[in-house]
Amino acid sequence: MRASRRLIAVVAGLSIIAAACGSDDDSSADESDTTEAEVDTTEAATETTEAETETTEAETETETTEAETETTEAETEATTPETTVPPVVRAEADLVIWADDTRTPVITPLAEAFGEANGITTAVQEVNFDDIRDRLATAGPAGEGPDVIIGAHDWLGQLVTSGLLAPVDLPNAADFSEVAVQAMSYDGQLYGVPYAIENIALLRNVDLVPEAPASLEELEQIALGLVESGEAEIPLAIQNDPGDPFHNFPLYTAAGGYLFGQNPDGSLNPDDLGLDSEGGLAAGAQFQAWAESGLLQAGLSYDIMIESFGNGEAPFAITGPWAVADPDRGFKATGVNYVVEPIPPLNGTTASPFVGVQGFMVSAFAENPLFAQTFITEVMTTEDVQTDLFVAGGRPPANISAFEAAAAGDPDIEGFGQSGINGQPMPAIPEMGSVWSAWTDAYALILNGTSSGEQAFQDAADQIRALIAEG
Amino acid sequence: MSGVSVDDSDTVPAADQRSGGRRPPLRSAFTLGLLVKVAFLATVNALSLWALTQMVVEGVWLAVTFLVVATVAIDVIYLNTKRWSIPYKYLLPGTIFLLVFQLYPVIYTAYISTTNLGTGNILDKDEAIDQVVATSIGTTESGTTYVSQAAIDDDGTLGLILLDEATDPPSLYIGTSEELTPIEESDVTRDGDRITGAAGFTALTLGEAADYEQDLAALEVPADEGVIRLRTFNRAALVEYRIQYDEATDTMLDTATGVVYAPSDGYFVSDDGQRLTPGWQINIGFENYKRVFQSEAIRGPFFRVFIWNWVFAAGTVTFGFALGLLLAMSLDHPKLRGKKLYRSLLIFPYALPSFLTVLVWQGMMNQNFGIINQLTGLDTPWLTDPWMARVSVLIVSTWLTFPYFFLVSTGALQSIPEDLTEAARVDGANGAQAFRAVTLPLLLVAVAPLIIASFAFNFNNFNVIYMLNRGGPPIPGAETPAGNTDILVTYTYRLAFESGRGQDLAFATAISILIFLHVALFSAWSFRKTARLEEI
Repeated sequence: MRASRRLIAVVAGLSIIAAACGSDDDSSADESDTTEAEVDTTEAATETTEAETETTEAETETETTEAETETTEAETEATTPETTVPPVVRAEADLVIWADDTRTPVITPLAEAFGEANGITTAVQEVNFDDIRDRLATAGPAGEGPDVIIGAHDWLGQLVTSGLLAPVDLPNAADFSEVAVQAMSYDGQLYGVPYAIENIALLRNVDLVPEAPASLEELEQIALGLVESGEAEIPLAIQNDPGDPFHNFPLYTAAGGYLFGQNPDGSLNPDDLGLDSEGGLAAGAQFQAWAESGLLQAGLSYDIMIESFGNGEAPFAITGPWAVADPDRGFKATGVNYVVEPIPPLNGTTASPFVGVQGFMVSAFAENPLFAQTFITEVMTTEDVQTDLFVAGGRPPANISAFEAAAAGDPDIEGFGQSGINGQPMPAIPEMGSVWSAWTDAYALILNGTSSGEQAFQDAADQIRALIAEG
Repeated sequence: MSGVSVDDSDTVPAADQRSGGRRPPLRSAFTLGLLVKVAFLATVNALSLWALTQMVVEGVWLAVTFLVVATVAIDVIYLNTKRWSIPYKYLLPGTIFLLVFQLYPVIYTAYISTTNLGTGNILDKDEAIDQVVATSIGTTESGTTYVSQAAIDDDGTLGLILLDEATDPPSLYIGTSEELTPIEESDVTRDGDRITGAAGFTALTLGEAADYEQDLAALEVPADEGVIRLRTFNRAALVEYRIQYDEATDTMLDTATGVVYAPSDGYFVSDDGQRLTPGWQINIGFENYKRVFQSEAIRGPFFRVFIWNWVFAAGTVTFGFALGLLLAMSLDHPKLRGKKLYRSLLIFPYALPSFLTVLVWQGMMNQNFGIINQLTGLDTPWLTDPWMARVSVLIVSTWLTFPYFFLVSTGALQSIPEDLTEAARVDGANGAQAFRAVTLPLLLVAVAPLIIASFAFNFNNFNVIYMLNRGGPPIPGAETPAGNTDILVTYTYRLAFESGRGQDLAFATAISILIFLHVALFSAWSFRKTARLEEI
């Protein structure tokens, strides 16, 4: 008994001392805690990035705002749930920014300069791009979130309806391309400062096809002719694995389809779905015809797309700036002789690609909202900064003068910009979540020859309506 | 009672006892073992004390209660020398970890499944109210904007020195949360272009304002047709909020249209059904479970998916086990040379990360561009024909599973005494009979639990299904998007993350609870069944 009493006394004494020591250097403990957390985060981020790159190189492009974003998220979450679950812990700083690996190095010096000029501390935390949206949803309300995030405009639907973003006031909105500002707006309110615009375009191998085709009919004829004569192996390098609503969208619009109708105020109306409209069904039939003629092929992955066009085995490709800039296999790297131009019309109807806009947004739960607003509207909007971001990431700037400067030095940027003029912002409404899967299935069924084009689009429209009603 | 006798013995003259050596364990424990124990317990206590201070600040009382109970339990059990405490010394750490890492996630998941958590319903109600109002901000008709300089007076009152550059000459004001006061240029002190103070207020630089940031961000200066507030640190604007919250009636009013929104199902909803976003998280009981069983759209492909899920899991385990056992037996032959090499090679599929190898399979099985069809000159629709795709999925999952069963079977075979099979042979059994009557039953005793575990794992094997073919090819005309090789997890994934509202997390947790119950019940049943094997 005595022995155990002595023991208790010793333990109690020691623990009090230890706890006291602990609270003595509380601050230092805190600091090391956060650094650890940061390291963890980056590790997690790199792990997921690796997973992705290994997964499908296709997804290297997913930092863009396109259809695959959805599916990659799927993959990341699915394959490495453990690495994505631990939330990022907010760094100890007055202004905390979450950015991805390509943008962190550009933003860090800008943030530091801003901090030094104003006497505040700043931190740029690297978070895997596809995780930023979901992590903001958990970390923001918990008070562990950042002040500023970098994000894609099509996240707005989910982020705004969940109440995670603060409105942004951009007095010099006229300096930015109209479509970019429009894309960054949701329900009539601006939620971000746009910095990059991206869309897909037609890439033509000049050696195989010296003259730009005036229409999609002509393009089909030339492409199939080249395959027939053995000069090319794949008529049109466009991703369809197993189906790809994002890359097919310009073809779909050229064939007469639309996705969502518009309300009188210009916002999208999820009740007006265009897949089984007259034009939509006609487009379905057109896709069936293209599948039968061999212009579109099932199972054409990003790898096959980039390698076939990059090696001169395909006369045409429909893809985005990421495929040009891909460090190893990109078209600049392989030296294929190409031009970037708008996708030609079909039967006189314009091909309209989705436009994705990326920008800076302010968390509704920002610890220092004023610093955040000041930083993104007064620093990140300038032509110089937007040019720096372009040089680092290769994404065409949203700032008009920065874009013009970039386009003057780079015909590819000019070409993608021309194609984007016909484009429309990718819908940001949350209902888009139900579109990708059903529409991908529809394209897969058409390209496999399982369903007729009209039937596949009709089924997809029914599925999407059911999911929206289920909401 | 034994403790009492020990205590009693303490009263006997000490020298006798010690020299008698009746209590050597205590003595030696006091040297090294006890030191370690004390250090360990002190660390545990210190850590939980530290954690407690943090948790109390955060106000997470459930966690605080658990931590206190757990720490006290650890101290009581490990400082105890009584005999009854011995089993608990072994059980306690495991129990605590079980509670924290197993039970808590399950309970939390079950809890989430009774809410409406998902896109639009993440915040709590107060946060949602703030956000609904905050995002209705807009400039007033005049659209007046000001160059602003945050300032503070001697009493610590925050103010804004405002400069309206649209007027000529530019007009100056001081704004506080109380009032907006016009001031003269002569009231203002400047350093170069920068305003350093005005009418008793001293200007704050952005860095100096860091301490007042939240207050400044919330500062609203009353004006004639709205309020003036900072949009950035250097710029303020005359703004109004289109939507206003009435605390008394708990409703929202759209001042532009006059529409009133009342709370309903986690949103503010108008009479004609228009919702204001964001909504908030509420408890909706068993609605999510009801949806699984009642909604036409979800029930549609559910049964097909369920059947295929069973076929997939059972098929994978059966084929994987059969192939693994076959290989283990052939490599068990005593005269075979290079066994180690073969064995190492066979483990490859198991040793490589499956999400990588599955993607390689996906590429190889591509109908138009895959290497299998290109090498063989065939045009097999490996992944695009419904039946072929099911076969392909089974091929790949068997390929991934057999090395595991090869390993465990190899081990188990070696532990079966050879005399038993020899005895069987002496009794006249041929090879197959000996295998069926002796080897297999003995093997199953060891392997059966692993087969059940493998079934449970494959029942939820998201990687193979999603990476290989994304559950495809799609079922034409299904009520909701579903594929011919979708299993419940991948189907749930589609429903949860590709739903009409964005992400439907609560619904996903409801389905995962159902899957959990199903797998748990099946496993429990099979363990009871296989318990009989051990009686052989």
